[in-house]
Amino acid sequence: MTDGDYDYLIKLLALGDSGVGKTTFLYRYTDNKFNPKFITTVGIDFREKRVVYTASNPNGTTAGKTFKVHLQLWDTAGQERFRSLTTAFFRDAMGFLLMFDLTSQQSFLNVRNWMSQLQANAYCENPDIVLIGNKADLADQREVQEKQAKELADKYGIPYFETSAATGVEVDKAVITLLDLVMKRMEQCVDKPSAEPANGMGVAKLGASQTNEKKCAC
Amino acid sequence: MLQSDINLGFLSDSERELILEVLRRDEELRQAEDQRIRKLKTELLDIKRRGAKRGSGKYSQRVCGRCLQPLSRLMVVSCQCRLCHHYVCHSCRTPVGPKDSWLCSVCAMESDLKKRTGDWFYDQRVNRFLASPAPDLVRSSMKNKPAPSEYRKRKWVSTQSLTYSQPSGTCYQRVQENNMKNVKYVKLFQQEIRESTVSPEMDVDRLFKKSVKGTQRTSGMCSLSIIFTNILIKVIPSSVLFSEYTSTLDLRNEPDSPPALVVTRSKSVPGLDEEEEEDEDIDSLVSFHRSNMASSSSSLNSSKSTLGSLMSIYSEAGDYDSVEVSGDLVFSIRYDEHTQSLHVFIKECHGLAHGDSSRKQSNPYVKCYLLPEKSRQSKRKTSIKRHTVNPVFNETLKYTISRAQLCSRSVLISLWHHGRFSRNVFLGEAEIALDCRDLDFPTEETVILMSKTPSSVAVFAQYKGELVISLKYVTPKTQTPMKIKEGELHVLIKEAKNLVAVKMGDTADSFVKGYLLPTKGKSTKRKTPVVKKNLNPHFAHTFVYKEVGLEQLKEMCLELTLWDREAMSSNEFLGGVRLSSGKGKEEVEMDSVGEEVSLWQKMMQYPDSWAEGTLPLRSTMGKSKEKLDLLNK
Repeated sequence: MTDGDYDYLIKLLALGDSGVGKTTFLYRYTDNKFNPKFITTVGIDFREKRVVYTASNPNGTTAGKTFKVHLQLWDTAGQERFRSLTTAFFRDAMGFLLMFDLTSQQSFLNVRNWMSQLQANAYCENPDIVLIGNKADLADQREVQEKQAKELADKYGIPYFETSAATGVEVDKAVITLLDLVMKRMEQCVDKPSAEPANGMGVAKLGASQTNEKKCAC
Repeated sequence: MLQSDINLGFLSDSERELILEVLRRDEELRQAEDQRIRKLKTELLDIKRRGAKRGSGKYSQRVCGRCLQPLSRLMVVSCQCRLCHHYVCHSCRTPVGPKDSWLCSVCAMESDLKKRTGDWFYDQRVNRFLASPAPDLVRSSMKNKPAPSEYRKRKWVSTQSLTYSQPSGTCYQRVQENNMKNVKYVKLFQQEIRESTVSPEMDVDRLFKKSVKGTQRTSGMCSLSIIFTNILIKVIPSSVLFSEYTSTLDLRNEPDSPPALVVTRSKSVPGLDEEEEEDEDIDSLVSFHRSNMASSSSSLNSSKSTLGSLMSIYSEAGDYDSVEVSGDLVFSIRYDEHTQSLHVFIKECHGLAHGDSSRKQSNPYVKCYLLPEKSRQSKRKTSIKRHTVNPVFNETLKYTISRAQLCSRSVLISLWHHGRFSRNVFLGEAEIALDCRDLDFPTEETVILMSKTPSSVAVFAQYKGELVISLKYVTPKTQTPMKIKEGELHVLIKEAKNLVAVKMGDTADSFVKGYLLPTKGKSTKRKTPVVKKNLNPHFAHTFVYKEVGLEQLKEMCLELTLWDREAMSSNEFLGGVRLSSGKGKEEVEMDSVGEEVSLWQKMMQYPDSWAEGTLPLRSTMGKSKEKLDLLNK
């Protein structure tokens, strides 16, 4: 798997309350299988998947170049006792899958906390995130309404997906959307800042002045 | 470690095991990634070197900046790369992004590389966190008392990620123990000096400083030699002496010592020409001499091996004869997990050249270095075989080193003729990179011996990282008609990337020092604040040189050097750049090449706008010929 025959190594990380289905979600994504048993994650783990990414052109046509992307998908323990360990891994990820359980109002309420954890511990203050409501197949036990979650996602300016690791619905789409965000940010980081040389002398944080384009702080 | 450990005391043993296993998998992935990146960077360097505008110093708008093909007049209007502002022809363009936008081939590749290597990400992360990645942090937090070898391995892992984008052969550092040794030897040496009768009351350091500060280089040399002579007398017959002290003096951990004797030697001493007020530079010079002398004095103290060692230092400095190289070498390399060591098995050679051409014979032996370290510590030798051009050695040369460190290294095996009464003769060499070898199931291999590769680009031969700066010439305001021609030069020192720490696994407390030559004194000296514990320091500091004319700048040279601040001892040289038009009056160092020239030109060409560039750091601030001649005397 790790033969180095790829164009980009992209590191994503799944986070959220214990039991929302991060591990099964990733298992579905990488192996397209479902394991209904709940095995709590010890601290951290990761899975890998090789995907082909097609750079979409801004004008809508998808006739872009294709790249081989090696995804490293970090899985974190949701349990509180591992918190110091898991948050340490936030800094190494380029994008985040913030998950909650559609059948648990509490896990949804905790999304705010996870967001602030991310802001404090990710590589920058506004990293790329997608919000994921998992267990969409358990419609009868649903506690969080789509509208609610959508509003929250809009407030943060991030995409929202309702997925099911059990059926596989929207799983791929959620990950690919995040990958797309990360790749776009990468393009911006590299191509934008150098287009106009920084001016001003002794600027404390270079580039802080060049962030008008997007939330990217590079 | 770089960061305070996290408290992981709550983990049970089995949990630890599980997590460590995950981290091990991650390390595997990171190592593969590391190799991939190294390959990419090497490719870029290749293209950059091939690219034009390097060393030529010419900057004509009629010529493509990359392939040097002439440009048609019409094209000049629309053919400027928006990043580097070089004028390039159609075939040297790479389309990027939407619409018809393009970049020149080098700029396109550079920005592409920034994406592929993940630098875009790490560049940002470094603003928030010290560079140590989570897995290392966790690992270090988990183990309280790691075994020594394990410890070193871990250290390496964190370096790897710090400097993870370096191409191969760059991790140049001495292992900790060696430094310890050196310290010991310095003491020994100082003691030695006090015992020796010349100037018992004189402090060694002061003595050195004095001699180095002396305006006449030669007199400095002399006083150094006196010290040496005194030590040497004790051990070796005086007849050998005088020739020895010079080579001892200049002994360095030269990463690549080409045959050109004095060239590299003087180059390898950063700031050799510093003036008196140059405290830190002299310090480094002195400390450097000191450690060298110290280590050689140690071997003097030790045993019979002395003479042989000195001989090889001698040859290292380039003082040897060479002959037409011929023949091959049979060897194998394996890694011994049990003893954590690398075994280089030298089997035999066939058809070597005659070291002694008059008698048509050779007394060959093998000398081996584990590059990039080309020092005494990394040197191994076989025994000398007499009167044969087909010697059978069957000897194993061993290096104690953790496996993780190996992938960035290579083994340099050279063959030498031992001349009993004459100089040693170089018979050929072969360099074997370790990163793509199977060290567990070694096979016997035969390589053709090569002659030493001439290193014309010696100053850049060793990757030392990069310096990102912006230059702007500010034209004078019209309110002051008296000083119409004199504006200001602003030098924004943005950041340095991938600096190579002096010691392995270490970081650097770095700062940049600048001079605007030809005046190398207080008036043009500028320094940035020190950025601590970072091999990718962000300085964001501007040097301003006032009252400079645009015309003057053509004749001037901006010298920027990076130093590792050492609180208790001397600062260590990390690399430098020299910006100028590449040609000028004799007394100014104008040996700028490539980007160093083009950036300087760009600054002059577009006053009042920033010219930004990423410059590869020189591993030495080597000087031109006059200096060498001086040393040669």
